[in-house]
Amino acid sequence: MQRRIWFVMGWLLALSPLAAQDESGSGASHGGRLTGNLSLNGNFFMRDARIGAANTPQYDRQLFGADSWLNLNYQQWGFDMGLRFDLFNNSNLLNPTGSFTGVGIGQWYVSKSIHKLGISAGYLYDIIGSGIVFRAYEQRPLAIDQALYGVRLTYDILPDWKVKAFTGRQKQQFDVYNSVLRGINLEGFVALDSAGVTLAPGVGVVGRTLDDPSMNNLVAALNTYRQEDLARMFPDTVAGGYRGPAYNTYAATFYNTLTIGPFAWYVETAWKSKDIMNDPFADRVNLAGDTLPDAGAYVNTTGSVLFTSLSYASKGLGITLEGKRTDHFDFRTRPQEEGFRGLLHYIPPMSRVNTYRLPARYAAATQFIGEMAVQADIRYRVNKKLSLNLNLSHIDNLDKELLYREVYSEIYFKERNKWTLTTGLQWQRYNQEVFYGKPDANLIETLTPYLDFLYHFDRRKTLRLEAQYLNVGKHADKTGALVREDYGNWVFALLEFSAAPHWTVTVSDMYNIDPGKISPVDDNGEKLRIHYPRVDVFYTYKSNRLSLSYVKQVEGIVCSGGICRLEPAFSGVKMSVNATF
Amino acid sequence: MANRMMTLAFASVLLLAGCEEIAPVVTGVKPGQADPGPDLDGQGRQVLIEEFTGVRCVNCPAGSEEIETLLSIHQSGMIAVSIHAGEFSPPYQTSLYDFRTAEGDQVLSYLGEPFGYPTAVVNRRKFEGQFDLQLGKGEWAGYVAEEKSIPPVVRIGVEPSFDGNTRKLTATVSLLVDEDIDHPDVRLSIMITESGIKDLQLTPASAEPKADYIHKHVLRGMMTPYDGVPLTESLSAGSTVTKTFEYELPTGWKEAHCELIAFVSLNGEEKDVLQAEQVPVLE
Repeated sequence: MQRRIWFVMGWLLALSPLAAQDESGSGASHGGRLTGNLSLNGNFFMRDARIGAANTPQYDRQLFGADSWLNLNYQQWGFDMGLRFDLFNNSNLLNPTGSFTGVGIGQWYVSKSIHKLGISAGYLYDIIGSGIVFRAYEQRPLAIDQALYGVRLTYDILPDWKVKAFTGRQKQQFDVYNSVLRGINLEGFVALDSAGVTLAPGVGVVGRTLDDPSMNNLVAALNTYRQEDLARMFPDTVAGGYRGPAYNTYAATFYNTLTIGPFAWYVETAWKSKDIMNDPFADRVNLAGDTLPDAGAYVNTTGSVLFTSLSYASKGLGITLEGKRTDHFDFRTRPQEEGFRGLLHYIPPMSRVNTYRLPARYAAATQFIGEMAVQADIRYRVNKKLSLNLNLSHIDNLDKELLYREVYSEIYFKERNKWTLTTGLQWQRYNQEVFYGKPDANLIETLTPYLDFLYHFDRRKTLRLEAQYLNVGKHADKTGALVREDYGNWVFALLEFSAAPHWTVTVSDMYNIDPGKISPVDDNGEKLRIHYPRVDVFYTYKSNRLSLSYVKQVEGIVCSGGICRLEPAFSGVKMSVNATF
Repeated sequence: MANRMMTLAFASVLLLAGCEEIAPVVTGVKPGQADPGPDLDGQGRQVLIEEFTGVRCVNCPAGSEEIETLLSIHQSGMIAVSIHAGEFSPPYQTSLYDFRTAEGDQVLSYLGEPFGYPTAVVNRRKFEGQFDLQLGKGEWAGYVAEEKSIPPVVRIGVEPSFDGNTRKLTATVSLLVDEDIDHPDVRLSIMITESGIKDLQLTPASAEPKADYIHKHVLRGMMTPYDGVPLTESLSAGSTVTKTFEYELPTGWKEAHCELIAFVSLNGEEKDVLQAEQVPVLE
């Protein structure tokens, strides 16, 4: 740690005279340019056991938590350099029910182009294709930071063809995992004729070598399995046992975008060599021979993904059709990691990313074990005032069990400089047994009308109203009474006043108008109808934005960038600062 | 172009494939392989695994089953305690017992909240490459085996005495130090666990909790503070320390199903358990 701090201080000292030469305040000096941004979130936790905002270190004793990232980038002499200071104080970002405190250099990198050769070293973010075999990325709202700590070389072998190779290890907070990664990626672009037919093919391979401690730990776990289970997992026998898991696992992908006039067709197919992965829904047979259903167990299997997207766009009409089949494609830096931890890749979700509060309540997280999914999105601009959008998605597992289905419609009407109206209806079927891990649970069926009305008082002042009603279907409980699933019905209203360019004030409430199975109860066992109010004040000055919010938020699945996780309830005050310079 | 592509293909093979690897050998559990277990004179390493669980945790029975599997392999070389604490631990309205304890909540806070369940802490050690002390089910076997392979620096003897009339439990704990322990803060903790308790538990089999689930190794209370009592005596090699503790067993606890778990651990940034010992309350 001490060496790292000296390194950073040296780096900053090296930069400081260069930055100091800039008297104009623009950051530019002799061709050099220093830019950056700050993101700071502060949370004041106010315990409210009634909504479940309790029993975590923050609510019980810490009362305050903060996360911050200060990013600095500098360009000079053909070099790109970056440094990021990360701070987590009593943070619940990494683990929503836990507390993490740590401060340090979260990322640094140096890159340089020498003719056709590009060199980068440090903590690197990158992607191959759509990320199915490799994606090193960051999602701050979920504390995902899966940078590759290593070296990357790129080379322009032809004007439209580039090859990229890298090796390194995956970042783990302020440390790195021990498994070693390497990969290679070739991408190109071919214009077949002058009629607008183009190809953008690519191929990539990523390899992972499991480190010895991880392998030893894995073998010890497998040594608790029955002989017959091991014989099924590892068919090759050697002296004393079975030829165990592979140290080296490979994932390969081929992808291409074919463009013909208004049509674009993307297809990506990926395959993973035999690897140990944790199947959370696998039955486990214990040493006594008893089968434990859905207990979770390691499996040793290959994996595959086929993803395709066909889109058409012309004269106000846009159509996108997508399909995806996933079969045991869980690629991690070590098989023992769970949740988002140690994931080396990213499989695109196949449902609409909803932004309104209630339509976004039930989100379908990507299933690595198996998915068969299709999605269609149709947009039509009737005229300058009226636009329509229809989105359909359907996701099954590989046993043809329904995981998620959604029909989402949207009508957008705009009266220029006066008002805009966005309204529609959403219908969902949601498998809470899989997404929430609730045993033997019924599908959640929802019907959600929503409305968003924006009124312009003048060029600067606007008032926006959001209204949504989430209706959840009923099923019979063990007494035969019909009960709404999950939390039952919700109503949500939001009023937002903006006085450009500085101020925005938002007041909203989410109300559990008809409580369901798991809504909180009072001392008499009566379901509580709880309000979840929220007040936000935003102040914007140039590229800086400050916010102060009072929040009561129900537990639910929170998604960011297509990645989802279950977040507990929140009660308290939030503040944030975002500054770019 | 062709030459460049050939070079690229060759480089790819070198970069990614290499030679065929020698895979590790997986043996599984073979008949008669179970550890015979240490006796006090030649006491070997006895690994403490603290499982955090709750009656509303649907995946926790799989974790408990994993612990039983590991116990059948390591026998007295591993000591288990199931601590009902955290978000899934509140009892059902129709639960017969509330397994939560003040000490359990404190131990959870002391060791850190888990990322998910099932979860357990093995010898309170932060293993290389781990975020924290809490470990997912798939990692327990490896770390228990790893810890068990390290000889103990201290051996523990526990002599319990129980008066059925007053329900007073007395435990005399003897420590035999084999190697110098120069850590500034070493603690001795004693937990009381109970097994064979039939009560509700959510399982993957049904949305309704299973009524006749048998709970094992449930933390019922502690004879010491949650973080143990400081050992202020000299802990140099060859030294011995003897301490006596008393506790009144509540009437609801079945002493015949209760066990005492004594362990010596570090306190501070490192919380490693140096050795643990388990004895039944009624010997």
